[in-house]
Amino acid sequence: MKRLKEAGALLMALLRELADESAYRRHLAAHGRAHSAAEWRRFSDERLRARYTRPKCC
Amino acid sequence: MWTEGSGTEAPRGLKPAPLLGWLVWAAVSALGAVALGAVALHRGEPINSMWLVLAAGCTFALGFRFYGKFIAARVMALDDRRATPAERLRDGHDFEPTNKWILFGQHFAAIAGPGPLVGPVLAAQFGYLPGTLWIIAGAVLGGAVQDFTILFASMRRDGKSLGEMAREEIGRLGGFTAMVTVLLILIILQATVALVVVNALKGSPWGTFTVAATMPIAVFMGLYLRHMRPGKVLECSLIGFVLVVAAIFGGQAVSQSAALAPVFTLTGTGLAVAIILYGFVGSTLPVWLLLAPRGYLSTFVKLGVILLLAAGILAVRPGLQLPALTRFTDGTGPIFGGKVFPFCFITIACGAISGFHSLISSGTTPKMIERESHALPIGYGSMLLEGFVAVMAMIAASVMQPGVYFAVNSPAGVVGATPAAAVATISSWGFPVTAAGMESLARAVGERTLFFRTGGAPSLALGMAHIFAGAGGRAFLGFWYHFAIMFEALFILTLIDAGTRVGRFMLQDMLGHVSKPLGRTGWIPGVIGTSAAMVAAWGYFLYQGVRDPLGGINTLWPLFGISNQLLATVALCVATTILIKMHRARYMWITGTPLAWLVVVTFTAGWQKIFSPVARVGFLAQAAQLNAAQSAGTRRLIFNDRLDAVVCGVFLVLVATVLLDSLRVWAGILRGPREGV
Repeated sequence: MKRLKEAGALLMALLRELADESAYRRHLAAHGRAHSAAEWRRFSDERLRARYTRPKCC
Repeated sequence: MWTEGSGTEAPRGLKPAPLLGWLVWAAVSALGAVALGAVALHRGEPINSMWLVLAAGCTFALGFRFYGKFIAARVMALDDRRATPAERLRDGHDFEPTNKWILFGQHFAAIAGPGPLVGPVLAAQFGYLPGTLWIIAGAVLGGAVQDFTILFASMRRDGKSLGEMAREEIGRLGGFTAMVTVLLILIILQATVALVVVNALKGSPWGTFTVAATMPIAVFMGLYLRHMRPGKVLECSLIGFVLVVAAIFGGQAVSQSAALAPVFTLTGTGLAVAIILYGFVGSTLPVWLLLAPRGYLSTFVKLGVILLLAAGILAVRPGLQLPALTRFTDGTGPIFGGKVFPFCFITIACGAISGFHSLISSGTTPKMIERESHALPIGYGSMLLEGFVAVMAMIAASVMQPGVYFAVNSPAGVVGATPAAAVATISSWGFPVTAAGMESLARAVGERTLFFRTGGAPSLALGMAHIFAGAGGRAFLGFWYHFAIMFEALFILTLIDAGTRVGRFMLQDMLGHVSKPLGRTGWIPGVIGTSAAMVAAWGYFLYQGVRDPLGGINTLWPLFGISNQLLATVALCVATTILIKMHRARYMWITGTPLAWLVVVTFTAGWQKIFSPVARVGFLAQAAQLNAAQSAGTRRLIFNDRLDAVVCGVFLVLVATVLLDSLRVWAGILRGPREGV
């Protein structure tokens, strides 16, 4: 049961990383800011700008 | 035998294994050998797909445990005491130490595209054996080695890109050539995968509606994420997924509606124009509105479907209907012309070795590695998992009756323009199929016809639907077929919109040297002009593919395979140079062997595509044949053939330049005093 919970937690962590939610949390912590719509947009714009200058794999 | 750890008597990172370890790995080796033997030697009766799963699983496990760890310990001397860029340059954005398994999943999601799914389906025209053996051997000895060494090299260089490393390690010429090669590959890649979507949706109102619906869904997701629930990406993606599944059911209703079905029944040309417009819009609109929400959704659906396919294969354990080898190893195959060597090895690129992976391995991933030792599972392990995906795709293609497989994948120009002519031709090859059987299958999946659906996507969707329906009832065959089509189209279109945008940036970067405003990514005329140029470039090849009487994929996929593997050649040149500079010249065979193989394969394939006297293989021979025929409309086809020959030649010249430059650098280092890294 414990292993199952650990696997579930790892899966959720992976999904949050793929969804950029973890990166956003790190961003808030690193800059000592609180979540807001404007803050998310600032973070998201910067992250997406970097992501979409790199080719996606085939 | 050695295991991970540290000891004084063994090389760093290796220590003697216990007896139990010996026994377990001996058992895995024996099982792998038996499975490989069964796959390779079985003839006549159909074999079960589990033999392919076992052969791949055991070989990949052995490759990871012994070859991967050998490279990690002896060649790279990975050292967890050494700070990674993620630790040294931590900034909360790009550089961030990340859990090994999370980064593994992220890296795998980044490298897994349509290539490992479509390539094996096309290569199945030779039978399941050549492609499967190439995937297994290529992934262990080539693809995983390339991904791992480039990831390692980039990690030791603060996350530098392949182009930067090529410029620094080989020279300015190498760096420039790598950049031009990537841009050209992007153009061919966009056209090729767009053609796969066109051929999958042509004349299919159900599929076209479903895929079209993903666009407003993505825009809704973008607005939801931007204004309604900022930051809630998982929640938003879940809503998007539910809407997409609803769109699949909606597509069924549309296909049965007398009023709506004609609206969503598009010709190949109509679909090509729609995709070209989509690429342009996607490249110019703000990323958050369309690209990003599609990207998130596509990633989750992709991982989910891969897991579902693996579970389906394990649950159903289908038998393979396709023979181990077909008569088409002689080069007369209907899907694409050319013998099993070299064309099987360039048709399956991404599942065995893909140059594109080197761009990912030198992109985000090296900046997020927490410990040096994590590079092994992330770099080497992810590629093995991708190899596994390719084996699953091969299984999905092989579970179909061979006659059905060839009826779906063969162009009208080869087998005959009517169903009656096509079944007669295919049956005469020894693969019986009937027009009535094909019609019944088409009805079962909600399509009007499944003939001449070249490109691999429809037959992969059929194979996947067969497996999923085997686990959950044939009543849902139509749903699963369209679910698979939606899944393939969704992430192919994600590749197209992102690729067009990236190509635009690369073009702006180059043109910025000529005219400063053109280089500014915020200057609207520059954005529109470069987006239009990029779309026009790949759009031309797409249009040419759509109008090709031989289906187009026979031309574009080999061109894409050659270009992708030539990029792998560049990456392996960089990796070999770095090994030599690290005083590891005695281990240069590790990257040198796959490099030599790729040089032989890609240059042979490239040469044959240009100069083969067989018209179905050589571009120039086909142009000459058309020239001799002098029928109406051949001038454009002749021009296209010559253009394809020139593109192929440019690829070969560019990569030969990098190769010769690398040889010059290697000779210089090996002759002269060595530098440390």
